[in-house]
Formats: sequence, structure tokens, C-alpha cells
Amino acid sequence: MRTTTQATVAASARDLTKTYGQGDAQVHALRGIDLDLHRGRFTAIMGPSGSGKSTLMHCLAGLDHASGGTVTVAGTDLGSLDDDALTIFRREHIGFVFQSFNLLPMLTAGENIVLPLELGGRRTDDAARERAHMLADILGVADRLGHRPAELSGGQQQRVAIARALITQPDLLFADEPTGNLDSTTSAEVLNHLRRSARELGQTIVMVTHERDAATYADDVVTMQDGRIA
Amino acid sequence: MRTVFLASLRTHTRRYVAAAIAVIVSVAFVVVIGVITSGARAGFMENAGAPFRNADHVVDAVHVDDTLDTSVAIEIVERLGKNASGLGLVLLPTRTGDRPASEMTVGPIAPAEEMRWQKLISGRFPERTGEAAVHVWDAQAREIAIGDRIRLGEGATATDLEVVGLVESPSPTAQASVYVTWPQFLHWRDQPSFHVSRVAVRGKVGQLPEGAALYSPEEYVRNGQAKLSNHADMIALILLVFAAIAVFVSVLVVANTFSVLFAQRLRDFALLRCVGATRRQVMDSVRREAAAVGVLASLTGTLVGVGLGYALIPLINTLAPTTPMGAAELPTPWLVGGFTVGLVVTLLASLLPTRRVVRVSPLAALRPDTAVDGHTATGRVRLALAALLLVTGLALLGVAMVQDSTVLMLAGGGSVFAGVLLFGPALVPRLVRITGALLGPAGRLATKNAVRNPRRTAATTASLLVCVTLTTAVLTGSATTRAAVDEERDRDHPIDVALTSPETPVTTDLLDQVRRTPGVEQAIPVEGAMAQVAGLDEPILVVTAPDAERVARDGGSFARVEPGKIRLDYAAFDKNLSLRPGDRVTVRVGDRRAQLQVAAGTGWGQAGVVAPATLAQLTDAPEPHVIWVRASAGADPLELVGDLAGLANAAGAEIHDNLQARATEDQLLRILTWSVLGLLGIAVVIALIGIANTLGLSVLERAREHAMLRALGLTRRQLRRMLATEAMLLSVVATLLGTVIGVGFAWAGYETVVKPALKDASMQVPWPSLGVVVLVAALAGLLAAVLPARRAARVTPAAGLSLD
Ligand SMILES: Nc1ncnc2c1ncn2[C@@H]1O[C@H](COP(=O)(O)OP(=O)(O)OP(=O)(O)O)[C@@H](O)[C@H]1O
Ligand SMILES: [Mg+2]
Repeated sequence: MRTTTQATVAASARDLTKTYGQGDAQVHALRGIDLDLHRGRFTAIMGPSGSGKSTLMHCLAGLDHASGGTVTVAGTDLGSLDDDALTIFRREHIGFVFQSFNLLPMLTAGENIVLPLELGGRRTDDAARERAHMLADILGVADRLGHRPAELSGGQQQRVAIARALITQPDLLFADEPTGNLDSTTSAEVLNHLRRSARELGQTIVMVTHERDAATYADDVVTMQDGRIA
Repeated sequence: MRTVFLASLRTHTRRYVAAAIAVIVSVAFVVVIGVITSGARAGFMENAGAPFRNADHVVDAVHVDDTLDTSVAIEIVERLGKNASGLGLVLLPTRTGDRPASEMTVGPIAPAEEMRWQKLISGRFPERTGEAAVHVWDAQAREIAIGDRIRLGEGATATDLEVVGLVESPSPTAQASVYVTWPQFLHWRDQPSFHVSRVAVRGKVGQLPEGAALYSPEEYVRNGQAKLSNHADMIALILLVFAAIAVFVSVLVVANTFSVLFAQRLRDFALLRCVGATRRQVMDSVRREAAAVGVLASLTGTLVGVGLGYALIPLINTLAPTTPMGAAELPTPWLVGGFTVGLVVTLLASLLPTRRVVRVSPLAALRPDTAVDGHTATGRVRLALAALLLVTGLALLGVAMVQDSTVLMLAGGGSVFAGVLLFGPALVPRLVRITGALLGPAGRLATKNAVRNPRRTAATTASLLVCVTLTTAVLTGSATTRAAVDEERDRDHPIDVALTSPETPVTTDLLDQVRRTPGVEQAIPVEGAMAQVAGLDEPILVVTAPDAERVARDGGSFARVEPGKIRLDYAAFDKNLSLRPGDRVTVRVGDRRAQLQVAAGTGWGQAGVVAPATLAQLTDAPEPHVIWVRASAGADPLELVGDLAGLANAAGAEIHDNLQARATEDQLLRILTWSVLGLLGIAVVIALIGIANTLGLSVLERAREHAMLRALGLTRRQLRRMLATEAMLLSVVATLLGTVIGVGFAWAGYETVVKPALKDASMQVPWPSLGVVVLVAALAGLLAAVLPARRAARVTPAAGLSLD
């Protein structure tokens, strides 16, 4: 893994550590992670509860600063960016799908999908609208674009969230337990969509999960144990 | 349930802070009013009672409404000598230095030292005739020092006195500018204004003359106080109205806080119900929480109010030394009242949201929050009720305007306003959307956030709406009244300053000097001649001023007199004028005469104004005897009148000014308006606390959303700006709506109250002031967003995402 060239690596972590709290209450959530994530691949991060999966994802995605080590995404060292630069970096290079509360309740599904573009101050031009429609089509929510999140099922909400994550064509898409709240049929649907995004759109995807079934959809599986890669 | 109650109180303390502040401010407001009223009352007892402090009896008329006969009072004082102190006044023209004469009040000083109630500031009390003590304020104003000589009275009764001391008078009713010994005082007993109405007596009084009665000093002062303290109670009552407004606003704020809090805790409550808590238990727990907040906040408010009140008394005493306040007793009824109001407000405000909490079924509460819409049964009832209130209110206002009925106007206004408040959830979000659309895409998220819960949006803006409506109505009302009063005053005081030289004509030199005086905008010479008017003892000037409009505030209309008429200023002649408007009089200049009809007017001094033709009929050689002056806008009246008086004195002319009266009236109106605005300001502050509070709670509620937005690429600054925009939208919409309603109310008030009272009044909308109100509200909205926005922006996305 470590021998692959820069050109095919979308993101990498070197000796990544993360420590919460101080003194007696100190928790070592990550204890030296070395990891390369390859372009166009669907990677699943697995491990028992409390093993540091979410923490790793947060650090890789620039949602939190690591305590030590480096994270490089799309050739940029995230540790060198301040909060604003990091935010803009996320806006342009990273997409997210969370377990729940993914969508803003006061916006329609369609508005939620183009939200990342709007945050960047970009006008939603025809190209963007077309892409949004295409994604909605692929994800099977095209007929739901005018609805609010409260009017959508859990699976539909997650698919809208995936469409939103894909709209900016990010270098990396992170999904933290995207199927955690879904039944098995709906889970399968959502996971299929994620896999298609990787295969058909060449999207690099990192998914955190603790369901073995979910991990089978991925190309690579990284297993974590007690803050380390097992 | 006890553990739940304590735990939730602990967890949510911070969220209750803002609601508590609203309660604290209004309770403190009520208590401060109580302490100050008590201080004013004590001050009155101390000060008004000063003349009777060492007396055993007070002699006054038998009936409260009668006054003691002056001759009776003098007789008692003469008979008892050193054991009596007469209280009376006489008004005398007084000259100090080379200043023009002006009327001053003169009062007696008691012969016995122990009965002298005036406070000696420097020098000594007058001991013999020819000596005087001057009140310090007058001494300051007229630059009188110990050793100076002043001349009291005119003609035969004029007396030169030496100033031997400066005193201060604690009693407003017995206050005089100059104090002299009793025998000196009696010199002026034939003056019309001379009176002695009360006598303080030491020891035995002896035989009482008819019509006089004896009172004990305590009883006497208390009776007097009852009269005057009606006045103080009146002021307390007015203040209470403002306190009531503040209390009402805090009910809105507290109710909103509770409903937001409970909405956020709906899941907790549902969970409690699921694990087996009964409805009753949940209710009780919530009520106890409200009670705890109410007790704590009211107690704090009471303490703050007492502290503030006692701190304010010395401050008021230094700022307004004319109405000294005494050591206030702790006004227990006010304290209890304030505390109770606070507690009741909190309990009442928590009642409605609490009822909503238990109405929701446990399972429904576990679903995410859904917006209220107007289609539900309660929504429709609400809208129907709002419409009913609006229509009734408008009808009442219409009737009020036709019938000039203040009661109907207030009822109509209240009804309209209640209707608007009920319409809030339907109306306010629409307005927010319209306003937000003006901001373009940048404000989209903020707008959507602001309207996502229409009822909360309406409730948040309601408090500010109340304040702005009142403020706008007051501003517009005062501008309208002011314009009307100004116009009336211009008519009553057309000439700012008149220099009159009856004996010799004024020189062009004097005119030039007057024109060059700083603060003079324009001055014109007025031609005339001395004339004998039948029915007047002394000759007066008869003038004509065809070009009066150059200086007159009323456009010169007072000086446009028809031929065959003469217009006289009654005020300038005191009451010595036996002529009445409509009388025909013979006016004679030299050996020429004319029959003229008397017309009345006021505000230009002691001269009769006639038409040019009439004057030509009386004399061939009119000469300028008068200079009329118009002051420029920013001129200091005291300085200008002083300067002109100097010029007039040197030229042997008299001066008559309306400027100082104008300035005083101006100031009164200004003080009134500002006091009202200041008092409303307290309610405004509470309303803003409310907005900050709702926003703060919403920020807590939306922490996950904000984290997600941040993850998606919203920068800290964008997040802060989004929240600030949301607050600004709320406050600006409330302000704009309030401004419209307030101006509407002012118009109704104008049609109902002002127009019938002041016939020349026209509606004035003070656009600049209203603009300032909107601007201030927008800024205040920004300010309200500062803390919540900072708190929201501080959270890192990762931390926000792990919240639930
Ligand atoms: N903000 C925090 N403060 C202190 N400790 C934390 C914090 N966040 C996470 N931890 C600790 O770090 C460790 C890793 O947590 P993390 O959330 O990454 O686990 P996870 O693998 O995602 O677990 P799960 O599958 O339950 O979501 C845990 O022991 C957790 O208690
Ligand atoms: Mg996790």
C-alpha cells in the first residue's frame, strides 16, 4: 500500500495521533495511524465501537485538527491550513454523508443538494442544475426534489445527502455510518449507490461502518482496533 | 421526579438566564419606582415641613380651601413678636447692578433664631431694615454677592438693601428669592401681591381671631402633603404604566423562552412519559422549575431595584436640586408587589407552553419538530379571532375619531394591536421573507432559518413590536403636538425681543449695534408716536409696522391691523387695563385725535399697533421708537437678552422678551419626550434580551446543523453573518411593522385628542427620528446576535457533529 505513487493517492495519513482531554481523563483515540486512500476506490473503515473510526474520519476530512502526524488530501497538508482555509478546502475537495440529520430541515431536497455550491457563493448555473438532476436521477430521488426532508423516508434522505456530497465532484467523499439508521433493504440500496458512484463516476469514497455486510460493498477494508489499524 | 427536577434545573440554568434577566429588569423597575416615590414623600415631609420644625402650632384658615386673611395673620405676628414667624410673599420689581429690573419674590425672616427655617449658606441673616439675604440660586443667576446693593420696588416704596447673606430654602412652598426682616417686609404691605397666609407659633397663641384655626405642625404638614403628594402619586402612576409595559413585554419574552426551551426538551419529556411518568408528574416538575426561576429572578429583581433606587436618590438630588428627596423608608408594599408581579409573570408565562408540553403524545414528541400551519383547527380559530379583533378595533378607532373619545381610542388601539399580535405567525414570516428576498442569495439561509418556526418567529418579534409601536407613536405624537404648540406659540409670541424707547426716538446707531449683536438674525425699526389713550393713565406708544413679517414669528399677521382699529397687548399691561376688546376709544397725539376700536393680541410689548393710514391720521412725523428683534435659531436666550438689555439700558430704552419663555416651554416638551422614550427604553432592552435569548436557544438547538454546514464548507465568518442576518431580519421587520402601526396610532390619537384641543395642529411624521429608530433596531438586532453567533462559531465541526 505504502509503495504506491503519489498520483494514485487521494489522501494519506502519517503517524496520525489524536488525544482527547488531559491528565487522568486523557483518551488516546488514535495512536499513530499510517494510511493511504487510493483514488477511485471505495474504502470501508471497520472496527468495534470506540476504536477511533469517527475520530480518524474527522481528522482525514479536516473537521478536527490532529494532535500529531500529518494528513494530506489532494496534495495539501491539512495541518498547515487555518480554520477558514480548511473550511474552504472542505467545501471544494471533500463531501460528507452522515448517519442522520444530514439535511437542513427548512430547505427542499433540491435546495439541499446544491447547498455546497451556494456556500461557495457560486450561482446555481445550468451546468450545476443539470448535474444535480443527473445525480438525483442516478440516486432515484428525481421526483422528490421539491419536498422537505421531513417528507422523505430515511433512505431517501440518505440518497439526497449522497447527491449533495457528489455535486462538487469532491476528491474524497466521507460517509460516517450512512446506513446506521436504515433497515437492511434500504441499506443495500444506499450502499449500492455509493458503490456505483465509485465505479461509474470514479469517486473516492471512505465509509465508516461497523456492519460487516456494509463492508462487503467496499473495495478495501481497513480494520481499526483501539486507535490503531489492526 | 425530584432528581429529574433538580437535574434539569441544573442542566438548563444557563438557558433560563435570559428569561430571568427579563423578569429581574421588570421587577427592579417596579421596585425602583417604589423607592423613589417613598424618597420623594420623605423629602416633602422634611422640606415642606421645615418652616414649622420648631413651632408648637400653625395658624391657618379654618377650611382647607380658604386662605388666612393677611391682616389677621399680621395681627397675630405683631401680637406674639419673637414667638411667631409669618409666612408670606410679595412680588417686587428688583434691580441689581445695572441689570434691567425684573420681578422677584420677597419673603420675611423670623425674628427668633430658632424659628428661622432657611439654611444659611454664607454671611449672616438680616438683622435690621435695610438688610437682605438672597437665595443662592438667584444670587448665582444674577451674580449677586454679599455686600452688593439691590433695589426692591419702584417709586415711593422703592428701598435700597444691602445683601448680608446667602440662604437656601428647603421648602418649595415658602421659597422666596430675597428674605428681609419682618418690619422691612411690612413696608410693602400695600402692594397688591403682598400676603401672609400662615403663621408658625412657639408657645401660647392666646385668643384666635375669627376665621383662623390652630393646627399641630405634624398634622398641618401631613394635610398639606396629602394635597401635594397627589401629585407624586400621579407621577408614580404614570411610571407604573411604563412598568406595566415593561412587565407585559417580559411576559412575552419569558413565555417565548419557556416555549422554546420546552420545544427543545420535548424528547426528554416524551422519554419521561415513556418510562412511566404521568402527565401530572411532568407538569408538576415543569411548574416547579418555573416557580424556582420565578422566585430567584423576582428576589434578585427586588434586591437590584432597592439598590438602584437608593443609589438613584442622591443622583436625582444632585441633578435636580429643586425637588430634594429625603431618606426613603423601605416601601414594603412596593417590594412585595414587585416580587409578586415577577413570580406571577414567570408562572403565567410558563403556563401556556407547559400545557402544550403535556398535550403532545409521547410518540409524537419523538418525531422531529414540524412547523405549525394555519390549517390546523387552532390556527383557524386564531386567525378568525385576529380578524375579529382587527375589524372591531378599526371600527372603534373610527368611531373614536368621529366622537373624539379617548376611551374608545384606547380600546380600539388595544384591540387592533392584539389582532396584529395574533396574526403574527401568519404575518411576520411573510414580511421576513419579503425583507430577506432583498438581501439576495446571501441572506437565503438566514431568511429560511428566521421563518422556519412561524410561531416562534412571531413570538420573538412581538415584544420588540410592542416597544417600537409605542416609541413611534410617542415620537410622532410629540412631533405633531410640538408643531401645533410651536405654531400657537409663534402666534402668542410673535416678536422675540422688543426694545422700546418711549421718550426719545431710537438712533440708527442703536439699531446697528442691535443688528451686530451675536444671535440677532434680523432687527427692524418701528415707527410710532406717544399717544394718550382714553382709559389709560399714562401715554403709550402707538406704532405701525408694515414690514413686521421680516421679524415676526407669525408672519407679521399681528401687525396687520385694519384702519380704525388699535391692537393692544393685554399681557404687557398687567391687569391695570380697563379697556376691553371691542371698546371704542379716543386716541390723541398732540392735538390730533382718532376714534379707534380696541383689538387684543399678545407678544410684542407695551405698544398699540395700528394701520399706517391710522398713524398718518394721528401724526405727520412718526419717529422710530421701537426695535423689534428676531433671534437666530441657535441663539442662547439668556446671553442674547443680557446683551440687548445692556444696549437698551445705555440708550434709556426698555426691553421686553419672549425668548426665555419660549426656551422654557421648549425644554419642558423636550424633557417630557425624552423621559417617555427613556422609560420605554427599559422595555426595549427587555425585548432585545428576548431576541438574543431566542436566538441563543435556537443556536443550541441547531448545533448539529451548524456543524454540518461547517463541514460542508461554511466558514466561521459566514456562520456568524448568517446568525446576525437572522437577528437583524427579525428586529428590522418588527421595527418596520411597529413603525407603521405606531404612526397609524399616532394619527388616530391626533384625530381624537390633538385636533380637538389644538385647532391648528396638523399631523407631523418625524421621518428622521423614525429612520433612527429603524437603524437602532437593526443595530440592536446585530448586537443581540453577537453572543449567540460567537458561541456557535466557536464549536468545531467535529465537536458539533457528535452532539445529539
Ligand atoms: N470529544 C471527545 N472527548 C473525549 N473523548 C472522546 C471524544 N470523542 C471521542 N472520544 C473518545 O475517543 C475514542 C474514539 O471515539 P470514536 O468516536 O472515534 O469511536 P468510534 O470508533 O467512532 O465508535 P462508534 O462505533 O461507537 O461510533 C472513544 O474512546 C471515545 O470515548
Ligand atoms: Mg463513530
